[in-house]
Amino acid sequence: MFVISKNDLLNWVHDLASSKNVLAPVLNNRGETIFEKIHDHKQIHLNYQTTMVSPRKFIYPTRQDIKQPSLNEIQGKIIFGIHACDMHALSVLDKTFLGEFKDSYYAELREKTAIIVLNCNKACEKKYPNFILKGFCASMDSGPFLKLKKGYDIEITDIGKQQYLIETASKKGRELIAKSKKFKKALKKDISQKIKLKKSALVSFTKKLETKGLPELLAKTLDHPVYKQTADSRCLSCTNCTMVCPTCFCYNIEDNIAYDLKTAGRNRYWDSCQELNFGKVHDGNFREPRLARLRQFVTHKLSTWLEQYGCFGCVGCGRCMTWCPTNIDLTEMAKEIQKDFKEGKIK
Amino acid sequence: MGLTGFGESAISFSSLSVDNKSFVHTIRVAGNVTREISRLNVGDKLEVRGPYGNEWPLKKVKGKNVIVIAGGIGMAPLRPVVHYLLQNRKKYKKLFLIYGSKEEESILYKDELEKWSKSGDIEVLLSVDKETNVCFLNLCHGLVTTLLDKIDVPLSDSVTFTCGSEAMMHFVCKGMIERGQKPRDIYISMERRMKCGVGHCGHCQIGAKFVCKDGAVFSYTDIKKYADNFL
Ligand code: SF4
Ligand code: SF4
Ligand code: FES
Repeated sequence: MFVISKNDLLNWVHDLASSKNVLAPVLNNRGETIFEKIHDHKQIHLNYQTTMVSPRKFIYPTRQDIKQPSLNEIQGKIIFGIHACDMHALSVLDKTFLGEFKDSYYAELREKTAIIVLNCNKACEKKYPNFILKGFCASMDSGPFLKLKKGYDIEITDIGKQQYLIETASKKGRELIAKSKKFKKALKKDISQKIKLKKSALVSFTKKLETKGLPELLAKTLDHPVYKQTADSRCLSCTNCTMVCPTCFCYNIEDNIAYDLKTAGRNRYWDSCQELNFGKVHDGNFREPRLARLRQFVTHKLSTWLEQYGCFGCVGCGRCMTWCPTNIDLTEMAKEIQKDFKEGKIK
Repeated sequence: MGLTGFGESAISFSSLSVDNKSFVHTIRVAGNVTREISRLNVGDKLEVRGPYGNEWPLKKVKGKNVIVIAGGIGMAPLRPVVHYLLQNRKKYKKLFLIYGSKEEESILYKDELEKWSKSGDIEVLLSVDKETNVCFLNLCHGLVTTLLDKIDVPLSDSVTFTCGSEAMMHFVCKGMIERGQKPRDIYISMERRMKCGVGHCGHCQIGAKFVCKDGAVFSYTDIKKYADNFL
């Protein structure tokens, strides 16, 4: 474990960026933070709240030609400063793409990317015109401090007084640290400071979701009216929720014939279960009603995911409800069902 | 199966392996890919990857009566089941093949049906939705479920394998359960949109199951409980 001053830390990132692609949180001219390739450490906006697009796109590109993958621009990246929830989301995606069947495109990008995680000292909260983004990662066991032991390279924590605590988790991480002499051995007090901050961060959440018993409850309440009510009155099937969600893995594949009609590419691109034809086959469309599509999203994230992968498909980042045009909130739907259960309306 | 420029389509096996070298596929033209495949000539090339998913639990059900119920193109993945059952005839009790088609012209594998029927090893019962004058085996007019009453073995000692449209399988399962079959003993082959075959693209999900890698064959009990199926 090391400590480093904020200045030295940023200088170190600056140096890394001169030889490698470093993606870091940057404030754009609309006042939003996005992950972007940086050239100068002055661009980095460390004190940011959850970004609209999650860093999953760097490991799992939105569109990819799987017949002739062009990996040049995406090789050897460093992602600097992703939040704990987004790192947990990547580890959730790993279960799909590096599980029983290995996806070689994903594996290659995952392997070639170094990830530096930034712990959050406070629940994230940001005001948007119609909605307040609020993270609830503490409820989903995926933040605000990292809970993983592997799958990333370096973990950093702002321990106050312009100092950062640095913990490496891989060989890649240790090699990156070795590039600067400014990393000093951490003292006991630095480590206990981290533990203190972790505790206070955990209790800073105002948005919560009780997850105990939730997967089982949702599995037996598939006909609960909340899905139809919400879908019919508010859902536009715009697919925003699934596009911003850091754990959604679904894709579509489409062949594209070149204009010379001689070659063809095979593109795979992010798809969404909210799309009308997502479940359509010759025999029929199994999720034609909008309520069925909304229910798929909610029950997948909070119930069936556990059966598939042993973890929730929601890391509590708060994106889907923030960038939903009508702010549909899956935790609100879950809570309505939980309430009915508590009141004995559901057995 | 795939064709560059058109895409891929998930197609089941309709034979056991032939001399460990080749397989038979039965393809109905339903979309772009299958249409292009139907236009191929001998010597043309197509892409193949797989096989994916599970199999009919043929070994597990040894010693039982086996009732195979097919609807339309659903006969294709059940054909190797019949082949296997006949090759291992002594290991099973009574065998049924109940096969419903839309019209007489769309009945698949007619030669084989005749052969199987004549062999006496399996009771072949056929139905067509559209009335016909053609006399073929015991072909009768009506929905495939009308044939369920002809099953004359105790259902407690039987298993059912079914494949067809989901609407047809809904009525088959309902009919079999009403007649006393345990839901767990009904095995269904599900069809869903498939893009990857390996549990990645998410299209084929039914609840927690991926039809491509966990299926396509499920016990009725295991799949019925999830949302968005017509069973
Ligand atoms: S479901 Fe919503 S809150 Fe949960 S991880 Fe996805 S986008 Fe974030
Ligand atoms: S099924 Fe829907 S909610 Fe689940 S991963 Fe796919 S797009 Fe996301
Ligand atoms: S076909 Fe892609 S997940 Fe099953």
